[in-house]
Amino acid sequence: MRSNPFTAGSTALVVLAVVAGTARAYPEFQKSISQTSGRLVNCAMCHMHSDGPEGTAPGQIGHLAAAEQVEFARARLAFEPNANVKSPILNRFGNHIINSLGKKQLLEIKAMELSVMTRELANRLPKDSDLDGDGISDVQELLAGTHPLIKSDGRPWLLFKANLAANLVQIVLMLAATVLGLWGLHHLLHGFDVATCANDDDDDDDETET
Amino acid sequence: MNVKETLRTAEKYLAERLPVEKMNYASMVQKKEVPVHPLSWGYYMGGLAMFFFMVQIATGLMLLFYYQPTVSDAHASVEYITEQVPAGALVRNVHAWASSLMIGSVLVHLLTAFAMKAFDKPREMTWVTGVLLLGITFAFGFTGYLLPWHQIAVNATKIGLQTIEEVGGYLPGAMAEWPRIAKEIIQGEASVGQATLSRFFALHVIILPLAIFGVLGFHLVSVQLHGMCKGVDEKPRRMEKFFPTFLLKDLRVWGVAFMLLFILGVCLPFESLFAYPLFEPFDPKGSTPDGIKPEWYFFWVYYPLELLPLWVILLGTTLLAVVLLATPWIFKNTNRKTLRLLAIAAGIYLLVMTLFGDNIYHLFKG
Repeated sequence: MRSNPFTAGSTALVVLAVVAGTARAYPEFQKSISQTSGRLVNCAMCHMHSDGPEGTAPGQIGHLAAAEQVEFARARLAFEPNANVKSPILNRFGNHIINSLGKKQLLEIKAMELSVMTRELANRLPKDSDLDGDGISDVQELLAGTHPLIKSDGRPWLLFKANLAANLVQIVLMLAATVLGLWGLHHLLHGFDVATCANDDDDDDDETET
Repeated sequence: MNVKETLRTAEKYLAERLPVEKMNYASMVQKKEVPVHPLSWGYYMGGLAMFFFMVQIATGLMLLFYYQPTVSDAHASVEYITEQVPAGALVRNVHAWASSLMIGSVLVHLLTAFAMKAFDKPREMTWVTGVLLLGITFAFGFTGYLLPWHQIAVNATKIGLQTIEEVGGYLPGAMAEWPRIAKEIIQGEASVGQATLSRFFALHVIILPLAIFGVLGFHLVSVQLHGMCKGVDEKPRRMEKFFPTFLLKDLRVWGVAFMLLFILGVCLPFESLFAYPLFEPFDPKGSTPDGIKPEWYFFWVYYPLELLPLWVILLGTTLLAVVLLATPWIFKNTNRKTLRLLAIAAGIYLLVMTLFGDNIYHLFKG
């Protein structure tokens, strides 16, 4: 009986991943980001699940299907940058970190002091990436402790500036519509007032003639 | 005094407070005049609160098309509105900002009406209905806070309902059970869950709107029947026509408020003012996360509650409610200068507790 080459390859990958080390979360990053930014941060900044990778809930290791386990194992072996992996326990930002740095660099940073870890990670990540398209780069969001994948999360002033610049035309158009609407109402109400006053005068004249 | 006389006195009292003979176009619109003086800006605050309320109705109805009031789908439906529905993020953000702006303008309206002695005879009922509207507005805020079913919403509601139950400890005899019963009625089950969400949803979208329509209708008719109060002790600079002069100025204020709301709705997500993890779906198995707080408009009572014993806050809030409802009779003979000072003091307290409540809390608690 011939073995399925895909299954054999997958098994080899999973075995290799297990040999390379057991899967574990990196809570040091969570602590470092909280310390640097002064904000509450949980594992959901990089992971699919807010409690991290260990467990049986969706997005955690114990919940992975066979095909996902293969992808997971491939991601765990991505020691060099640009491996183009898509780990099922990581969100887009987590995978962005692995693909940009590779696990080797990530482990180097992990070995550093908590106070410098976040800044070092930010220094090594691409500066122009903005995964949620909110106008604040992922690196800025990492330093600020805001979520790089949630458009509504970001430093309020930075978000305000970015959204104002992106929607200036709509705001100017709405301003013009409001001013024109008020101008029209002004004339309408004045016209109504003049008409009702004129009617009253006519009524008064009629009463005088009578 | 016999029954006939009592009825006649009551009839006279009501006729003075509700002069229905003035319920015509000429009295309520054509001949109505508004005094112009340094505190005239206060006359715009009630209209502004009503404008934000209308925005709430419009945006709330739009959100109703997609919102699912179930514990399994509430958070996902809010996420769907924000991320998938065209202009959903804008509508939801405008709803969130307008709720805060509405409560802010209602509070300023209350303080300016107090400073101008707008509760003076024959406007007692206008004041009392205004205080009821303030209570309903706070209830709107409290019930609406739970609906997105995220960590901060559910945990803050739990703490709020728990506080109601704790009131029982200060009540005598059988009354000690009343707060617990009230909490169970509001909560609907052993812990905050589906029954609570259903009740808060019904309160937020049906019961409270019906209540506010009734009370607001009476409040507005009463304002139109009596006209604007004098507002200041000295003679007003001049009188201006309500229609169209004052109404047009009111509409301009609404225009500015609309633009402010639109810019905030487009440019500044309300959620960006909170830490992200608090906006994750509520996890019934998880522990209460750090940073749980009520909305900013409850800070004036929340921080004192964190610092002082519950009985002090209970006594204070009960006294405040009684004083607010009985203001037309308590401050009947108080001059406007004193009222203005009291209103300024209350305003400063509200501002300080809202902006620096957290700092004050840490100053005392470390």
